[in-house]
Amino acid sequence: MEANLGRVPLSRLPTSESSRRDIRAPRTPGGQRLDGQRLGGPNPSLRDLTRSEFNPAPLIGIAAVLVLLGIRWLAPPGLTAWMTDPARDFVTLSISVIIESLPFVFLGIVLSSLVQVWLPEGFLLRRLPRNPALRRLSISLLGVLLPVCECGNVPLSRGLIMSGLTVADSMTFLFAAPIINPITIITTYQAFGWNDGILVSRIVGGLLIANLVGWIFSRHPQPETLLTPGFQEACAVDAAAPRTGRVRRTFLQFSTETSAMMPALFIGAGIAGLIQVAVSRNLLVALGSNPLWSVLALMLLAFVVAICSNVDAFFILSFGSTFLPGGIVAFLVFGPMIDVKMLALLRTTFTAKTLVQVSILIAMCAATLGLAVNFVF
Amino acid sequence: MSFSRLISRWQGLALSLIGVVATVWLGFAGQLGLYIHPRYYVFTLIMAAVAVVLIVGAFAVVPASDDDGHGHADAHDHDGHAHPSTPRRRRRFWMLAGSAASLAVVAAAVATLLVVPPSTLTSSTVEQRSINSSSATLGNTSAQAASTTDDTSAYTVKNWSLLMRQGVGLDYFGGRAESITGFVTPDADDPDNVFFVARFVVTCCAVDAQPVGVAVYQPGWQSSYPVDSWVSVDGTFGADPSVLSAASIVLQPDRIAAIAQPSDPYVY
Repeated sequence: MEANLGRVPLSRLPTSESSRRDIRAPRTPGGQRLDGQRLGGPNPSLRDLTRSEFNPAPLIGIAAVLVLLGIRWLAPPGLTAWMTDPARDFVTLSISVIIESLPFVFLGIVLSSLVQVWLPEGFLLRRLPRNPALRRLSISLLGVLLPVCECGNVPLSRGLIMSGLTVADSMTFLFAAPIINPITIITTYQAFGWNDGILVSRIVGGLLIANLVGWIFSRHPQPETLLTPGFQEACAVDAAAPRTGRVRRTFLQFSTETSAMMPALFIGAGIAGLIQVAVSRNLLVALGSNPLWSVLALMLLAFVVAICSNVDAFFILSFGSTFLPGGIVAFLVFGPMIDVKMLALLRTTFTAKTLVQVSILIAMCAATLGLAVNFVF
Repeated sequence: MSFSRLISRWQGLALSLIGVVATVWLGFAGQLGLYIHPRYYVFTLIMAAVAVVLIVGAFAVVPASDDDGHGHADAHDHDGHAHPSTPRRRRRFWMLAGSAASLAVVAAAVATLLVVPPSTLTSSTVEQRSINSSSATLGNTSAQAASTTDDTSAYTVKNWSLLMRQGVGLDYFGGRAESITGFVTPDADDPDNVFFVARFVVTCCAVDAQPVGVAVYQPGWQSSYPVDSWVSVDGTFGADPSVLSAASIVLQPDRIAAIAQPSDPYVY
C-alpha cells in the first residue's frame, strides 16, 4: 500500500476530482490510509463531506441487464419479415461471428490479465533466451501451451507488449500461436493425417513465417511507431500503474481491454458478414483445382471466411478432393494469421500501415509456401 | 467527466454485456445451434459466466478508478489547456465523432443481437455457396460403411448427398424408399421441375455453413412449397427425369409434408 501511495500523481489531479475519489476510496482495498492523509491536507469542502458514499454503478449494471433482457423478451418475432433474404443472412452471419468469437476474446483477456496482473513481474520475459533469434523461436513455440485461437491471441499479445515484450517479438507470438496451438495441430492431423505433407508444411511454414515477420520488424528503428497512439498511451499508463490490488486491476483491465476489443470485434463481424453475402463463394471454390490459382483463391477464401484456426482444417477438408494440397496449405497458414476479422481486431493495436505491410508480407510467404507444395513436392 | 470519456469507458462493458445477454438467452432458449457448432456450447456458456463476473466486478470498480493509472485522457486535456487553439477544437470534433460512432456500434449491437429474432440462413446463401460443392469425408458416413450396413434410418440429407457425391450410383440407390427432411431450395439448373431438400453443414459457426441437399423431382413444386419452408419428403430414389438438372439421382416423392423448422436446423 505504501508503494501505491507514492505512485498516485496527486499534483495532476484537480482538487475536486481527488476529493471525490477520497470519499469513495474506502471501497478500494488499502486505500484508507492514503485518504486519511489526503483529507487531512487541504480542508475538504462541505460539499465533499456531505457527498454520499453510495456508488450507483452496480445498480446501473443490474438495470442494464434487465433492460437488455426486456428488449429481447419484448422484441416481436415477426420484426424482420420485411427484410430481404440477403439482409437477413447478413445479420445471421454477423451474429454467428460474434457468438463464436466472443468466448475466445474473453479467454484471451483473462489470459492477458493472468500474464500482466497475476504472474510475478517479468515471469515470462526473464525466462526467455537473450539471443534475439532464439528468443523469437521460443516465443513462437509458446503457443503450444495455449489452446487459444487467433481472436484470443490479440488481447494476449497486447498484454505481452504491455508487460514489456518488444513489438517484433509479440508479432512472432501473435502469428505463430494460432497455428502451433495444440487443438489446431490435433484437428489438422485428424483431417489430413500425414497426407501430402499438409500438417508438416502448416506447422513448419507457420513457424518460419512468424519468425521471419518477427525478424524483419525487429530491424525497425522505432518499433513503437508500429503501434497505434492509443495503445502506446495504454502501455505507458500500464508501466506506471501500481502493482497492488490485483482483483481490482483485473476488473479495470477487463474494462479497458473490452473497450478496445469489442468495438473492433463487432465491426469486424459486420464486415465479415457483409463480405459473405456480397462475394460469391462458387468462383473461389471453382478456382481451387488449378495449381496456380488454387493457392490464391484459397488464401482469398481464408481471408473472407475468417474461420477459427482450431477447426479450419475440417472446413477445408469438407471440400473433399477439389483442392490441391498447396492451396490447402496456403489456406491453413494464411487464414490464422490474417483475415478480415483479425485485421479489425489487430487495428486496435497496430497502425494501418503496419497491418498493410504485415499482410502483404505474410500473403507473399504463404503463397510461396503453397506454390512450393504444389509444384515442388 | 466528459461525454466522450464516459462513452469510451463504458463502451466495452456495454458491448460485452450485450453479447453475454444474447449468448445466455440463446443458450437457455436452445437456439445457440443457429449460430455455432454444438461442441462450443459448454465453452461458450462457461466463458459467458466468467464474463458476467468480470463485468459485474468492472461495474463496481470502474467509476472509482477515475484517475488511478488511467489518467492519460486527463493528461491530454491538460496539454490541451496549454494550447487552446484549432488543433484542440479539431480534436474535440473527432472525439465527438468517435463517440457518435461508438454509440452507433452499441445501438447496432442491440438491434442485431437482441431485437432481431434468431434465424437460420436462407436460400440466398445456398446460391452463394453452390449446393453439394462440399462433402465432409469424416465420420462413419463413407460409401463403404453405407453399403455394408443397410440401416439408413439415422441418415440425414448430408449422408445421402455425400454418398451421391462419392459416386455411389443407381445400383445402390435405385428403388430405395426413404424419408428426408430439410428446407426447400430450387435447383439452379431446372428450377421448375426440381428442388433440393437441403440443410447446411456447419463446421464451426454459420459463417462456414455449406449447403448439402437431395434433389426431388416434382414439376410445379413452387405452387405448394415456398422456398425456405421446411418439408419432410417420403419417396423412392431413381434416375433424374429432368434433362436440365445436373443431379443424376433424384427422390421421386410419394408424399411431401410441410413441417415446422426443427430446433436443430443444421447438420454436423
